[in-house]
Amino acid sequence: MQIFLDRLTSGLTAGSIYVLIALALVVVFRCSGTINFAQGEFALFTCFVAWWLSTKGWPLWLALVASMAVGFVMGMVAERALIRPVRRRSEVATLIVGLGLFTGLNGADGWIWGPADKTFPELLPHAPTDYISIAGSRLHYDSIGIFVGMLLVVLLLTLLFNRTPFGLQMRAVATNAESAALSGVKVGRVLSVSWGISAAIGSFAGVLLVPVLPPNQLDLSSFFSILIFASAAALFGGLDSVKGAVVGGLGLGVVESMLNGYGTFLGGSLQLTFALLIIVVVLVFKPTGVFGARRIERV
Amino acid sequence: MTATSLNGESFEQGRPDDAELVAARESATPPGPNSRRGRRRPWVVERGSLPHLSLLLLGLLVAVALVLWGSGLGRFNQGQITRVIIYAIAIAGLNIATGYTGLVSVGHSAFFGLGAYTTGILVVREHWRAEATIPVALVVCFVVGLVVGLPALRIRGLYLAIATLAFGVAFPEVVARFASFTGGASGLTIRRNMLRPPDWTGFTLGQKGEWLYWLSVGILVLVMLVVHNLVRSRYGLALMASRDNEIAAASSGVNLAVIKTVSFGVSGALTGVGGCLFAMYLGSLVANDSFTLLNAIALLTGLVIGGEGTRFGPLLGGLAVVYIPYYSSSVGQGESAAVIFGAALIVIVFLAPEGVAGAVIRLIRHVFQVIPRTPKPYQPTVRPGPPAGTATEKP
Repeated sequence: MQIFLDRLTSGLTAGSIYVLIALALVVVFRCSGTINFAQGEFALFTCFVAWWLSTKGWPLWLALVASMAVGFVMGMVAERALIRPVRRRSEVATLIVGLGLFTGLNGADGWIWGPADKTFPELLPHAPTDYISIAGSRLHYDSIGIFVGMLLVVLLLTLLFNRTPFGLQMRAVATNAESAALSGVKVGRVLSVSWGISAAIGSFAGVLLVPVLPPNQLDLSSFFSILIFASAAALFGGLDSVKGAVVGGLGLGVVESMLNGYGTFLGGSLQLTFALLIIVVVLVFKPTGVFGARRIERV
Repeated sequence: MTATSLNGESFEQGRPDDAELVAARESATPPGPNSRRGRRRPWVVERGSLPHLSLLLLGLLVAVALVLWGSGLGRFNQGQITRVIIYAIAIAGLNIATGYTGLVSVGHSAFFGLGAYTTGILVVREHWRAEATIPVALVVCFVVGLVVGLPALRIRGLYLAIATLAFGVAFPEVVARFASFTGGASGLTIRRNMLRPPDWTGFTLGQKGEWLYWLSVGILVLVMLVVHNLVRSRYGLALMASRDNEIAAASSGVNLAVIKTVSFGVSGALTGVGGCLFAMYLGSLVANDSFTLLNAIALLTGLVIGGEGTRFGPLLGGLAVVYIPYYSSSVGQGESAAVIFGAALIVIVFLAPEGVAGAVIRLIRHVFQVIPRTPKPYQPTVRPGPPAGTATEKP
């Protein structure tokens, strides 16, 4: 029982990170109908910014705020300068620009800060004694922190989407950009801001994640697999659904943790292959995901 | 055949104008007011005509000269050129799926790795001759390509890219999982004497580099011929039709399911052959090193820089993939190559979506064009009257 609870909490912790990156993907997809391949690299870049600020003696929470601001600006600029000009041309062009951002940012991180692993300071208390004991299982404060942070982001996003005029504009743009423009919505601004919000969520996830997942080190490939897991989660839940991202991300985290613990017959090292299978199966059999809105294509 | 006159006024023999020629003539900019002769019209050559054939021969001679020049370089430079050729083969494979059929794959490093591991495992465990493993890798990669291509029947564009991305990311993990077979994280080492050149070539073990160079050149030529014939065939037309407009292609009788899966299979197979050569070149395989996501992105970058859907794009792409990291390795803590690749991808999308090869071809078309041979009009054998050249055939 104790081992089961341990695995459950570690799954929920990892799952919360997948949820956050998946939410970042969802925010972009809802408005612009594209998938931002560079999402993970945005997060990595801002994470490096936070790390760098913390080595300059900034308190970590301030570095977090600063890195989120950097992420927001980066997202907005990327959308305005790189994505919007090619978006109308073709999907493949958007994709290639996204991949360009992906490699470019990854290389830029290494160029500026060096390819060596970084040790990231802890935002949350993580000493071996910092835990709450539940039925013999240790629930560490940092895991709780990540979970609460994730819930906070979900809450704020839901409020933003459903209770604010800007959220209404975002939904209008997502439903039909042309009609929205005719009703006076500044479509371009909505798109830019939603890319900014998405990148800021990514930075938040990055800073929370890095101290927690072993091996406690920040390296250039930290976000490759996280992006894959997050895409699997977002696709599973439906790329346009906040609820879907939460269910998909947490579910994936828990299943992965359980497979690691109990599925020893699989060798315990095939998480990415598992994510690949989920992606392919979902795309082939239910492309809209479990909670996604149906899309009808007119021929 | 003769080249048409520059002004395009008269056509000898009163042939009906070739549609493509007319289009080319009309799309050329009209003479400006300042210049008396206007802009020079392109030199137009018919396919299969004497000037065309002699130009082809010239191109062939240049290619042979380049290959001979490459064979005379020192060991290091020859190795670099061998790598260029290997990447060109791999990118030519990717070009079939991404360039001609429009199925963007961000996971071709997996095929590259699959080919390499097929060679590595057969050589190390079964003591095959390295070059004999190439057909096996071809078949293995073709079959896996068919399977990976299956999702392409239902999903497109960004979604397919995600699926292939996951395929590329998952590959090193699968290799690590079957460590007893593949050597796992520590890698698979092919001992040097296992890669001895065959006796009939006359190369000694010390000349392994030269043998590999000539083998790669031979396979590159084969691959380019295959791609050329494929693209010019009915099948190639179907590939491009399904890329340009899927619905129109299907309604014209293109079997999309077959076209897409088979093109993914062929694509994977060719990239896998590149992987075989890579295994022979490198001699040691580490999946976490050589066949990662970044490798897949490098292949795609090479293709985009070289030119999607062009026949010479992969060669230029191979040059870019090998030499950009080589010359930039001293800048930016060894990470500047990724930045250059990223910037190049974005710049290419903005400025020259058809890639370097495509842009060059577009520029060349301003001064030189090859048009299809005009079919000879039917001429009755017994016909009194004026000779064929002056016959007027007004409708």
